[in-house]
Amino acid sequence: MGGSRAAAGLLLALASAALGAQFEPAKGLVARPRQDFVPPAPGTYALPPIQDAADGWVLDGSWWPRRLAGYTHGSLTLLSFVYTYCTDPIGCPLAYETFAELQDRLRADPLLRGRVRLVSLSFDPSHDTPAQMKLYGGARARDPLVPWAFLTTYSVRWLTPILDGFGQDVEVELDAQGRPTRTLAHMLKVFLIDERGRVREVYSAAFLHPEVMLNDLRTLALDAAR
Amino acid sequence: MRKVFQPLLLAATVAALGAVAPAVQADETCNSPYVGKLIKGQEEFLHVWTLGVQGLGDGSDKLVTVDVRPGSKTYGQVIHSLSVGGRGEAHHMGFSDDRRYLWAGRLDDNKIFVFDVGSDPARPKLARTITDLVAKTGYVGPHTFYALPGRMLIQALSNAKDHSGVTGMAVYNNQGRFVAKHDMPVGRAEIGGGDGYGYDIGINPQKNVLLTSSFTGWTNYMMDLDKLVQDGEAMKRFGNTMVLWDLKSMQPKQVFGVPGAPLEIRWSLNPSDNWAITASALTSKLWLIRQDGAGQWQSKEVGTIGDPAKIPLPVDISITADGKGLWVNTFMDGTTRYFDLSNPEQPRQTYAKVTGKQVNMVSQSWDGKRVYITSSLLANWDKKGEHDEQMLRLFDWDGKELTQRFEVDFYKLQLGRAHHMKFSARPGAARAEAGTPQQVAAAPR
Repeated sequence: MGGSRAAAGLLLALASAALGAQFEPAKGLVARPRQDFVPPAPGTYALPPIQDAADGWVLDGSWWPRRLAGYTHGSLTLLSFVYTYCTDPIGCPLAYETFAELQDRLRADPLLRGRVRLVSLSFDPSHDTPAQMKLYGGARARDPLVPWAFLTTYSVRWLTPILDGFGQDVEVELDAQGRPTRTLAHMLKVFLIDERGRVREVYSAAFLHPEVMLNDLRTLALDAAR
Repeated sequence: MRKVFQPLLLAATVAALGAVAPAVQADETCNSPYVGKLIKGQEEFLHVWTLGVQGLGDGSDKLVTVDVRPGSKTYGQVIHSLSVGGRGEAHHMGFSDDRRYLWAGRLDDNKIFVFDVGSDPARPKLARTITDLVAKTGYVGPHTFYALPGRMLIQALSNAKDHSGVTGMAVYNNQGRFVAKHDMPVGRAEIGGGDGYGYDIGINPQKNVLLTSSFTGWTNYMMDLDKLVQDGEAMKRFGNTMVLWDLKSMQPKQVFGVPGAPLEIRWSLNPSDNWAITASALTSKLWLIRQDGAGQWQSKEVGTIGDPAKIPLPVDISITADGKGLWVNTFMDGTTRYFDLSNPEQPRQTYAKVTGKQVNMVSQSWDGKRVYITSSLLANWDKKGEHDEQMLRLFDWDGKELTQRFEVDFYKLQLGRAHHMKFSARPGAARAEAGTPQQVAAAPR
């Protein structure tokens, strides 16, 4: 999405938010990738470490700084970068809806319940304050069985090394006249991180398949049990 | 390896920043489905991975950038050339998933160069050189660079032990560090055999399948072509298979017999299609890999390219965005052919034109209106003397006729042999359109 239409849509969305409308990040906005296959069974394949998860200072519901490493170690973690006013149907709303589905399914999964953490970290610390992220997370952020952290940072200065460390691209989309809009163009990536803080899989919109992601989590859980 | 363009994030909240955004990259129909936004409008720059020639210019392999912006003062001209030093058989390239970096390989010395084309696509910079492929994998000849999220899948052509065609695929992360290797199957009777050869990669994410094709090893691709074709034993050492892999597990599942070195693989971009097509170089045939009604994958010879008895040597193919047409370049007769793929079971040649004395790569724009051609196949396989023409040509395609728009003479400009091409563009100039997940899922390399 880009240009004046995107800007108009964004302003409309912001106006709605300003009027106190309940934020529903995913409703009607996502376009899921097709999955025309049965994924391989958990434990029948390897997920070699790709890289170490980046670290840095983040904010979780308040202005008190915390280390991101505290959210990427000790549990199996799915981490994605988002911004709360994103409307790309294969962007942040898709990540939110996928995480929401996973949270519901993980809650009922005897192998994975209590072992998996979800993390959404904002691309836009200027807009997405701790309070804004808290609003964005809503009740999802208060699940004791499948914790879902909605994080942000103090500023771009603190965010940049985290994005660089993960290799997550982002840029401001330009309008037809080459002027920056309020739309952040980025490739959706979800990082699967093991209990030692190593990235074991990266999902983009083309294969953000919940069935596959669950099997990957189970594969890592089985790995850890061996 | 990269720096986030910090002011741009600030612009998200101030919405009025004077800074220029980093590039959104363009592309045609043949990239990994995990590569970022496709450009469906006008590409701005064309990058040509060029083989250095001894005694010509600086003699070095180089990344040549050509301005292809209509109306530009430098339209059709070389605006940048980045030499990487030495000659190592420069061959193919592939974008990283975020399309900020272009990975380019050399088949002889096995070096992999990672160019930053995101910061300023008009002036690429060398960001990294990877030199540990052989040490990490035992493979030789990094050929195909196929982006996966956060990493690069690299198909090699050979191995360091005997320089034959038995090889495999390597995975590196986007920071240039080795992650994993996957040997090509050899003699696996339970899946149909396997000859161990490799060439191209094509992924269909919605089917969780990866297809590979097969060429030949270092000993052959570094041999003089005239000598090679007269060596009966050497001519037996070409790949005759394609392999279907489970993408998630990276396990080979099925080996197809496809005789005569099947090379480039193109999945149909049509979301409802479930097939890929390839051309076999030595037998001059089109082959279809298709899932049947029972969900089984089948291979089938579906067409002939030129007169196979004359060995026209089909080398590169380019599929249209709607999956209804296919450009095929045949090296020996310098001909660019168009096949109607409306029925992929029965491709039908509807057009042919001699576009050069020797032609190798063919790349079309997303809208199919522009077709770019280059000339070099391999340093020791290119024609000799007056037939060794080295060029880039752009043709307009109106559905009936290829009309030449410009030519860059790579010998006259002392650049070298023009090989693989990739498009790029600056943001705002060529609007990028996000594909639907279905488009993303079906998009082939």
